[in-house]
Amino acid sequence: MQILPRHYVFLGLFLLIGITMALDISVDVKVSPYTKKMHAYIDSLPEGSTLIISFDHEASSLPEIRPIALAMLRHSFQKNFKLIGVSLYPEGTLIGYRLMKNIAKEYDKTYGDDFVYLGFRPQYIAAILAMGESIESTYPQDYLGNDYNSIPMLSNIQNYDDIEAVISIADGSLTTHWIEYGGQFNIKILGAVTAAMVTTYDPYLSSNQMTAMIGGLRGAAEYEKLLGMKGGGSRGMLAQSAAHLYIIFLVILGNIFYFRSRKKGGKS
Amino acid sequence: MNRQIPLIVCFSFGLVMFLQYFSNHTISRSVNLAILDYWQIIFAFTLIIGVVSFIKVNLTKISRRIDRPYLIVGLLGMISMPFMALIWGIKADSPFMWMFENVQAPMASTVFALLAFFVASASFRGFRARSLQASILLGAALIILLSRSNLPLPYTEHLSELADWIRNYPSMTARRAILIGIGLGSLTTSLRVILGIERTWLGGER
Amino acid sequence: MDISTIIAGLLTLIIFTFLYKDNPFYKMAESLLIGVSIGYVLVITWTNTLMDMLFEPLFQNAELTLLIPLLLGLLMLGRFSNKTVALSRIPIAVMIGSGAGIAIPTMLYNRTIKQLSASVMPLFLPDGSFNFSGIVVIVGLLSTLAYFYFSREHKGKFGSFAKLGTFFLMIFFGTTFGYTVMSRMSTFIGRMEFLLSDFLKITQ
Repeated sequence: MQILPRHYVFLGLFLLIGITMALDISVDVKVSPYTKKMHAYIDSLPEGSTLIISFDHEASSLPEIRPIALAMLRHSFQKNFKLIGVSLYPEGTLIGYRLMKNIAKEYDKTYGDDFVYLGFRPQYIAAILAMGESIESTYPQDYLGNDYNSIPMLSNIQNYDDIEAVISIADGSLTTHWIEYGGQFNIKILGAVTAAMVTTYDPYLSSNQMTAMIGGLRGAAEYEKLLGMKGGGSRGMLAQSAAHLYIIFLVILGNIFYFRSRKKGGKS
Repeated sequence: MNRQIPLIVCFSFGLVMFLQYFSNHTISRSVNLAILDYWQIIFAFTLIIGVVSFIKVNLTKISRRIDRPYLIVGLLGMISMPFMALIWGIKADSPFMWMFENVQAPMASTVFALLAFFVASASFRGFRARSLQASILLGAALIILLSRSNLPLPYTEHLSELADWIRNYPSMTARRAILIGIGLGSLTTSLRVILGIERTWLGGER
Repeated sequence: MDISTIIAGLLTLIIFTFLYKDNPFYKMAESLLIGVSIGYVLVITWTNTLMDMLFEPLFQNAELTLLIPLLLGLLMLGRFSNKTVALSRIPIAVMIGSGAGIAIPTMLYNRTIKQLSASVMPLFLPDGSFNFSGIVVIVGLLSTLAYFYFSREHKGKFGSFAKLGTFFLMIFFGTTFGYTVMSRMSTFIGRMEFLLSDFLKITQ
């Protein structure tokens, strides 16, 4: 059994996260201006507005995406919005349906009247542009096989003109396509994305092509705070902070070794 | 002829889709919608090609006895999903959904979670202040990480403000330059494709 | 504890064994994941796209215009044989051509013009103060673009200006690294939460 330096690094991270999670302590987080803007925008929309929630992610990012998606859904149902769920990634399809259904139950919302799930369409650019022309043509049936025309809440929904905003819950660059192609139809785009993607979208946020954005587990924790509830985001914040400090410690340690070896004359 | 017809088709569809951007006429919108629908349907067929290729490659490897047990498991996993969907459907609480939620999703997210460990290892072994540029990179990363660590220290507020400023201005503007570069590159490539100058998508001459 | 959680938990632990070293259990789980994922995509694409958008409207509602994408889709299957591979170039041409046609105005307007116009900020803010951040944005943008401009040698003043662009790029990479660390840790935290609360029942 050969133990290498990287095994100690791995073990350290495993134990650190394991112990901090086992402590089960919620940490109070300071809400960032980005999250405040997102919350304020959604809060400013009138009750009964229709929103598209697009599950543009894969199963691999579910641990990070789930708390973000739950925060978005809870706020939307609290505000009595009419929600249309779609997915532009195959793996987001089942996840989106399950999440919408479960959270709708918490708020006593009825399928077909308060929310509907249309399901997956491939080739996201074509799907986004096609919905701008006609959502019915893009989705003749919903995910459950009901005809578009038979769903009460969709009776007055033709295209993006009847939609207040799109919330793209994404772990990759799909929100870019919502911004660039959906933006042609003057629809507001909101991003609920993984932390790794936030810097990708900063230029769009700065140019107002994207209305607001929250990012990562931290963004979810901040949003949960604004909603006055505890969820996966706030539960993970102690471990998240510990992990950041662990990485900082590793970077500093690595640099100490590097500079010491350079002083000794080696140029590692 | 094998190459001429696709080039003409590419030019025609490119021109139509380019021009529809400037028209709100009913006919133009209908044509646009029809082409977008066709695009999605053709794309779905390409996914089928991917699946069939996966089966072919695996069967070839199995016949050559390369990693046989693993490839058989992979193939069985692949076949089991359409099989379950065919018998019990894909709606809530179906075996198909069970497989997705209890086999695929946990494994996919755990494989992704492994990256946390490799990031940690890379931070220790590769993140060195070897030059001015590397030091700037290091500094920006450390400020961002520290500012998002919920430390109960007096300077936390200022650190958050500094981190937000870095993200909103110097970092954002570099990303913006990359975006503009990609945008201009995509624009010229698209023009070259429509005009038939860029033909690599046709593949080799056969 | 139900069987679903036990299976999900065991598979999670098997994947984590890779951290020690590659092993047959991990390889088996990895193969299963690949197979199941492909099977899943096949089913969702078939039911949600080909059935909904093509076969049902075509065969049940007799929407005959859908014969066109059906034919194009079938031509795509020509890739399976060397004799028919040329046929698959036609549907590829439809997709490539359409994509290129759509991309031209979008890339020009939404990615280039909008981004450029957002970079031009007033020198002085409404309260009369100097807009230092605005200067940072415009200098950063121009110097980074200069770094990516390879038609002129990076020498002299132009070279120095392009080098300034690398500093902005490093800040972007550093910021992105910081957020990527956050993201990866969040994913691991999510899996750990599952192991500790659902699988091992250590936490609530």
